[in-house]
Formats: sequence, C-alpha cells, structure tokens
Amino acid sequence: MTQTPSAEPSPARALHAQGVTKRFGAITALSSGRISVGKGEIHALLGANGCGKSTLCKIIAGTVSRDGGTLEIDGRPADLKSPREAEALGVALFYQELSLVPQLSVADNIFLGHEPRNAAGFVDRRRLIADTEVLIARFSAVAGSGFAAGTNVSRLSPDQRQIVEILKVLARNPSIIIFDEATAALDKRQVDLFFSILRTLKAEGVAIIFISHRMDEVFEIADRITVMRNGETVAEYGAGEVDRDTVVHDMVGKLADHQREARPPRPAGETPRLVVSSVSGGRLRDVSFSVAPGEILGLGGLQGQGQSAILQGLFGAEPFARGEVSVDGRPVRLRRPADAIRAGLAYVSGDRGRDAALHGRSIFENIAAATLVSERRRFVWPSALKPRFEKAAAGLNTKYAGMEAPIGSLSGGNQQKIFIARWLATDASILLLDDPTKGIDLGAKGDFFELARDLAAKGTSIVFYASEDAELLGLCDRILVFNSGAVTAELSGDTRDAFHLTRAAYGETA
Amino acid sequence: MSALRDSLRGRVWLVTLAALVTLFLVNLALQPNLLTPNVLKSNLTVFLPLVLVAIGQTYVILGGDIDLSVGSIVALVNVVTVSVIAMTGGETGGILLGIAAGILTGLACGLFNGVLIAILRFQPIVTTFATGIIFGGLALRVLPTAGLPVPAGYWRTYAGNVLGIPTVLWIFVFALLAIAFIARRPFLTHLMATGGLRTAAFQTGLRVGPIRIGAYMLSGLFSAFAALCLTGETASGDPLMGRLLALSSISAVVLGGTALAGGRGSAFGSLLGALVIGMISNVIFFAAIPFEYQTLTTGLITLLALAGGVLVSRR
Repeated sequence: MTQTPSAEPSPARALHAQGVTKRFGAITALSSGRISVGKGEIHALLGANGCGKSTLCKIIAGTVSRDGGTLEIDGRPADLKSPREAEALGVALFYQELSLVPQLSVADNIFLGHEPRNAAGFVDRRRLIADTEVLIARFSAVAGSGFAAGTNVSRLSPDQRQIVEILKVLARNPSIIIFDEATAALDKRQVDLFFSILRTLKAEGVAIIFISHRMDEVFEIADRITVMRNGETVAEYGAGEVDRDTVVHDMVGKLADHQREARPPRPAGETPRLVVSSVSGGRLRDVSFSVAPGEILGLGGLQGQGQSAILQGLFGAEPFARGEVSVDGRPVRLRRPADAIRAGLAYVSGDRGRDAALHGRSIFENIAAATLVSERRRFVWPSALKPRFEKAAAGLNTKYAGMEAPIGSLSGGNQQKIFIARWLATDASILLLDDPTKGIDLGAKGDFFELARDLAAKGTSIVFYASEDAELLGLCDRILVFNSGAVTAELSGDTRDAFHLTRAAYGETA
Repeated sequence: MSALRDSLRGRVWLVTLAALVTLFLVNLALQPNLLTPNVLKSNLTVFLPLVLVAIGQTYVILGGDIDLSVGSIVALVNVVTVSVIAMTGGETGGILLGIAAGILTGLACGLFNGVLIAILRFQPIVTTFATGIIFGGLALRVLPTAGLPVPAGYWRTYAGNVLGIPTVLWIFVFALLAIAFIARRPFLTHLMATGGLRTAAFQTGLRVGPIRIGAYMLSGLFSAFAALCLTGETASGDPLMGRLLALSSISAVVLGGTALAGGRGSAFGSLLGALVIGMISNVIFFAAIPFEYQTLTTGLITLLALAGGVLVSRR
C-alpha cells in the first residue's frame, strides 16, 4: 500500500493519523505514529509494551493531546482537546482501565452523560431502563447471573463490568471505536459473542481499532494490521497476506537481539529457595514456578497480565485465594506483608510514592521501617541501628547528605536504592522487584541492575517484573511469560530473546 | 439477615427514619403537648436552618468534596440581607431586594469555593476552612456588631401563615420539592459519578469542573435560604451567626446515609439526619438532664445514631 503524506480526503476512510508525536517530560512516547482505518474495517494495532499504541489511541480519543502530526476524521482535520470533542465526532474509546463508576447502576453508567430526557429536561427513567435492557439483551446469553439494568456496578464480576463497558461504547452509536484490550476479562463464549457484535458493527460501516494481547483473536477478527515499535508505526498489512512470525518480527525489530547478555547456566539439581505451586485468585490462573538461591527470575509479557499480582500475592499485600508457597522447603502462609517479611521476602515497588516512601520522614526512618517489623521491635534505639543502616546504604553507592535528611531530598533512583537498603538491613533472602525502575534515569538504572546482579551473586533470589522487555532480557536467568493471568512460556538459554518474549506475550506457546 | 442488609445498603436513610421515629416517641413521652400545632411549628422553625444547610452540603459531599464554609456563608448572607433592607427602607420592595441580595451572596460564595477547588485544584477541606474565615471576616466588615433589626413585615411573615399554612411548613415543603426536582435532573447522576470515580467521569466526557462548581453553588444557595430563615427567627443581623452549622450539617449528611467519600447517598437522607440532630437536642432538653451533662449526652446519642447506620450498611 502506498501512502502519500498529504492524504487526500477519501470518503471511505474513517480515520487517518500520520506522523503523530507525543512527549511526556523527557520521555518520547510517540515519535511517528500512523494509522489509517477505513469504514467497515476492523484494524488490529499491535506492539510490545511501551511501543506507543495506547498513547496513539488516547490521542485519537481526545484524552491526550498530541504534540505534532496530523489527525483526520472522516476526511476532515481534527484538533481534539477533550474526550468530549472526540465523542462529538463519533469517536468512542473502550478504556483498558475501566471507566465505570462503581456506585452507579448499570443503566446510569451506560448512559452517563447521555441520559434520555423528557421535554422538561428530567431524566426519563423508564426509557433509560428500557434502552439499557435492549442493550443487555445482546449479551444476555453469556452475561451470567445478577446482571440487570438496576444493579450497582460495584456488585458485578470483572467480566460483567467489561460487558457494561462494551455496552457503554455501543450506546453512543459511534462511527469509530477503539477497543483497547476489550476482551481481557472475557471467557471464550463471551469473546465469540463480542466478535459477532463487531462483525455486525462492521457491516454497518463502523471503523474499529482492535487492540488485544491474544494473537489468535487478532487473526480471527482483523482485516488489517498495523504494527508499532518504539513509538513508531513500522508496518501495515492485510491480515490475510501475513503470517504470525512476520508480525512478531516487526514488533521486535532487528536491534533487539543484540541487547541480550549471556548469563552463566544455572547448576543442575539446585534446591529451590522459593516454590510457588498452583496459586490462583484475582487475575491469576494456576501459576507455578520455583526460584533457586542466587537466581534472577523474570516475569514478562504485556502489562497487567498478572505479573504484579504474583509479586503482591507473595508479599501478602493481595493474598492468593488458592495454592501453596514454600520458602527453603517450609510452607508459609502469606496473609499480610508482616508474614512475608518474617519469611524473608522483600518487595520493592516501582510506585515508590504509593507503596514505599514514608513522605517527609528521614532516610533513617525510611530504612528502619522493615527492620522494625521483621525483628518485632517494640523500642527503638536509633544509635544502635544507625551503623547497620549506614552499612546497608553504603553498599549501594547511594549519595545522600545524611541519615537525617528527608527522603524527598533524593532523586528517584537514589530513593529506590534506599528502599532496597531497607530490605538489605533485614537480611531478606528473596527480593521481589515490581517494575522497580519506573521513572528512574538511565544512569541510575544501570547502577540498580549492577546492584541486583551483586545481590544475586551473593545468593539472594530475585523475582523481577519489568514493563520494559530489554530490562528483563538483560538481567534475568529465566523469564516466565504471562498472558491473561497464566504462564504461557518459560524462556531460558536460546529462547531467551526478544522474538520469543514478544511471541509468548501474545499468547503463542513457545 | 443478609437479605435485609442488601435491601438496606442503598437506603441507610431508613435507619435514620427509624431513629427519628424513636426520638419522636421519646420526645412525645417527655413532652405530652408535642403534637399541638404550635409546638410542632416552633420545632420546625428551630430545625429548618440545619435542614436547609444539610441539603446543600449533601450535593458537595456527593461530588466527593466538602464545604466547611457554610456557617460563615449563613452569617454573611444574614448581614448582607439586613443591611440592604436597612439601606432601602423597610418597605416590601426593600425586603425583596434584601432577600435577592442575600441569595446572590450565597451563590457568589459557592462560586468562589467551586472555582478555587474545581478549577485551581485547591484541597477542599483546607480551602473551605480558609474561605469560611474570609466570609466570616466580610460579615464582620459589613456589620461589626449584632443588631440592625429587620422590619416587622419580614419576621411577621416568617412566623405567621400563608394561605392558612405556617410559612415554615411552606419552606419545608419547598425544600422537599427542590430535592425531588434536583434528583430527577441528569446533573445529580453526573455529580454522583464525579464523586464516585472522578477519572471515570472525566473519561466519559463529563465536565467535571463545572459539575463540582455547581454543587458548591447549590451549597451556597441552600446556606442562603437557611440564613434568610434564621433572619426571620432572630429578626436582626448577627455577624457571628451559624458558627456550628458546618460540622452539624456534615453530621446530618452522614447520619442520612451519604458516604463522605462521595458518590453515594441522598439529600432526603440528610433532611432526615438534620431532623434527628434537632430531635436529639429536644429530648435532652425535656429529659431534664443536668446542664453539665447535656453536651456529653448529645454526643453519645449522635454517635449511637451514626453507629446504627454503619452497622447496617457494612458488608
């Protein structure tokens, strides 16, 4: 297909975006985004984590404003400043992070902002309920029990909420729909029904952008495919004229393989430090793995497939519903973080502000937080603890003015080191890293990985989730790839590369 | 039992209604002439300002915010109204002008709060605490000392009857109609969505800022109504009027089953909550509890009434 940059208005083209750029602070999320969708076309948008596909979709839906490039809707240039303006042009975005208000009913949510009104401007409740019931009827065969127009959304299961979200999009009768991971929480029957609705919409001439983490679904439903990599659109083809490996290769690119770093093979027959068997609950479906002393295990896949849930479950922050965990051969019950701390687990979150920092308190207090729990201290003698903490922090090559300086005086990278020091002071044997380098500059990232390697060399077991594939490939001995809450592949040795990682992330078994 | 809880969860005001009936019966036992028209009317006169302020407060809280400045808005509206009436002479036209000036003052205060919080993104508790001091300071500037009586036409009308029905009952009925009117506007759903999950409301395309400002303006408006009632009751200006209204109104809102976190509740519940708070002080008064125990007992009964709602609605 040939593309002319100045894209003459074409009646059959519903959406055309070209050369779209977007920066968030120092980070370039989009360097050259392009997508072109015809009327009555289902267009899949694919790419690895952080490739910019969500940002591009948000720009089309008006929730994020673009820095440069052109956007045309129905052949006319569109300059969108809010979701409202995009909606007026017929664009509807299905939100991956749900946009439902739990306190309101199904009907109120579906028609929020578009309530049917009578002549005097009052909400026409009868029509609201009737219209909602018509919409619900489309899914009635697979919606499950307790799904009615008047039900509060807070009482619905995740798949039912996703159905409400879909209905909310349909209720606006849009001409362009972006379904960003709309099938993530649905089961097979629900997906089939959803696809039959998509085909109906397609027949009505609606343009659909479809984002999914399941390659099977993409090839089942899509007419055309656009692939993005590193903030750039790199390929576009018809779904019938391409095979899956080509798509994966385009997602990964050529450079990626050079980022791999050789890791010494693990000795055979090691006794594992941490054994996780068949844990479930929340998003997780029957996950099992083990980690040896000194091993770095990576958790990969697209974002939000259960990687963080595993780490938070192991730390007792979001306890597992089923399954067993043992440390050094002893079964442990992890119902709250204090259980995990005493079993020798440590958790470092990428969301420092929410999960780690004691804001406005000194570095000393921030390091002490975990020690006080693990050693069950009732009284604290700062002078006795201080040398220990200074030693723990010094090993990390951390720059700070003094133990009494507030935590906020440090940069993100140095703060993260202090939170590692917090756990080193407790002699944790298993370190859980939950996307720990989020918002940290490149130099500090290098230091951080150096530190992780040193700790592993000294025998600490590390379980590491990163949203950037390059980090996983650079650091880990083995990588478990997650898709929809289950492990789809285990990559080690020859398969530990970007191609296999991306392929498995899209649900293809290795 | 769980079925009962399920049906009560969305209707905590039923618990409040039960508390109100109980308190009413206790009051009746202590004060046998409670059911005479005059006593009922004087009770309603005393309760009405808190009822009105609590209704306004409900909308702000449903939107996920809070308004601590309502007491000072009441004081400012009161002194503006009496001053305007005094300036224009005591004729009917002057009284109506004073009332209009008072209502505009209330709306302006609400607009000021709303712009600071919804547009400039100031923190609601601290902001309305501060604007409350500002409004109180303005009230002192307008009328430094209590006094400046309103013309007899104003307070006679308020204390008397219109078409054979007490004015205060008319106002109460109008408050109910206003609640029902607002409840049927799309605005209330949008407000509850804003208070329930602000990001979801924004992503859905709701204009979150104007919605929150609207809630603060409703709070200012109902505070102005309360001030006009208090002016009719006291028949004069007082820049220190309404000091306890902020926290009492929040108590009434919570008693009425509205979640302080926003998104859930009803103005009708708050109306019942305000009546419960009024009845509590009635019961304390007529139970002949020694003066030094009255505040303590009021606190304990309020806590008990709150606990009832919490226990019923908890999962």
